[in-house]
Amino acid sequence: MDETIRISGLSKSYAGNKVLTDISLSVAAGEVYGLLGANGAGKSTMIECILGTRRADSGSVRIMGLDPWKNRKQLFEEVGVQFQETHYPEKMKVRELCEETACLYEKAADWEMLLEQFALGDKKHAFIQELSGGQKQRLFIILALIPEPKVVFLDELTTGLDTKARRSVWKSLLRLKEQGLTIFLSSHFMDEVEVLCDRIGILKDGGFIFTGTAEEAMAQSGCGRLEDAYLWFTGEEGTEDA
Amino acid sequence: MHKFITMLKTEFTLSIRGMDMVIFALCMPVAVTVILGCMYGSKPAFEGAEYTFLEQSFGAISTIAVCAGGVMGLPLVISDYRQKKILKRYQVTPTSPVLLLAVQAAVYGVYSLLSLILVFLVSALFFGMHLPGSWGMFLAAYLLVMMSMFSIGVMVGGVSRDMKTASIAASILYFPMLIFSGATLPYEVMPEALQRAVNLLPLTQGIKLLKAASLGLPIKSAGIPVIIMCACAVICGGIAVRFFRWE
Repeated sequence: MDETIRISGLSKSYAGNKVLTDISLSVAAGEVYGLLGANGAGKSTMIECILGTRRADSGSVRIMGLDPWKNRKQLFEEVGVQFQETHYPEKMKVRELCEETACLYEKAADWEMLLEQFALGDKKHAFIQELSGGQKQRLFIILALIPEPKVVFLDELTTGLDTKARRSVWKSLLRLKEQGLTIFLSSHFMDEVEVLCDRIGILKDGGFIFTGTAEEAMAQSGCGRLEDAYLWFTGEEGTEDA
Repeated sequence: MHKFITMLKTEFTLSIRGMDMVIFALCMPVAVTVILGCMYGSKPAFEGAEYTFLEQSFGAISTIAVCAGGVMGLPLVISDYRQKKILKRYQVTPTSPVLLLAVQAAVYGVYSLLSLILVFLVSALFFGMHLPGSWGMFLAAYLLVMMSMFSIGVMVGGVSRDMKTASIAASILYFPMLIFSGATLPYEVMPEALQRAVNLLPLTQGIKLLKAASLGLPIKSAGIPVIIMCACAVICGGIAVRFFRWE
């Protein structure tokens, strides 16, 4: 299988605090990889170091064979990103944000179709600030899909969405997966990870404490549910939840 | 180029919706023109002058928008976009955040030119202004003023910690510059001591050039204004590039 993302020996520390320690992983083309871990475990830092918006202290990252730091322009023609929080200028309309995003790429997806697909077709002329939390989140996923990417990074995919909205996002992503899209996501929701992800990695204190499939996680921990397995690995069961 | 135009269109629309610049860069210069026109009408600038007071003031009034956009609008939008991590979003696209900054500078360039046209039309149609000077020289000087003012703006926006700091710094720079450089309060009515002090402001120098160019007066010492404005552009631009922070 073709390797789409390859990370080796990634480390990062802030002011002497190690946030990521010697992270290595590889994601195959068409695979959906889920990054799990408590708040502060290093998920967002890891995604930012992979994308090159933060410079790792050591280690190397290749996405489709390209170095995100050196080949930024070439790489981001084909990589879509949704950060944990997406921001936009005040008083901007949905249509304007889509247009402005689409114009940055040599070939961009038909964003009006994406709006329809994510049930935002009637919000085209609405101000972004007037959208509900779920509608905004869907819009930001659309922004990540506008480059017609081969790989997307989705940080905290469905945080803030209600059950129905989450299901519809899953459905759209599964459809894209069938078309061969490679997806790297981080999430707090085990049901989501079970439905979407081929493989998962659990981060704790900046290092992987588990990598493999959801089934393997359950088998290794002897738990029948992924949520229990996750807590077993992170050792968070019974302790105060952060 | 296509993306530059698309973004310019959107960002200009957003700025119009914000209204601040419509007031400070378009309405205000026109208001000053009307006030000066009504007060001094077609009176000569001084006894025996070959040009009117308003004709003398045209160059100064035309910089109000440059000052508002460069020293107020630009730093605020840059620090706002950084604080909201909008610049960071551009780091994960094939273009660089520099595109967004260039578009913003262009937005304020458009405001400045619009204001120049408006002020000219109002002065010419309602107050019979006639400028014997050279438009080519005037536009060259205008461009130089824009460069020096916008470089101040990019510097302030680039190095400010957050939007609040940028807003305070912008106000400290904007209001004295607007009042004392001769953009609103005519340089000619200031006492001599004040004139000497405000000569240090780059905008004062720019306005001197604009006046000479618009009135067709011989430029006795264009060297000093040009040097001061270029120095301002180079120093502020240099600081901006050196200390710029994307987030």
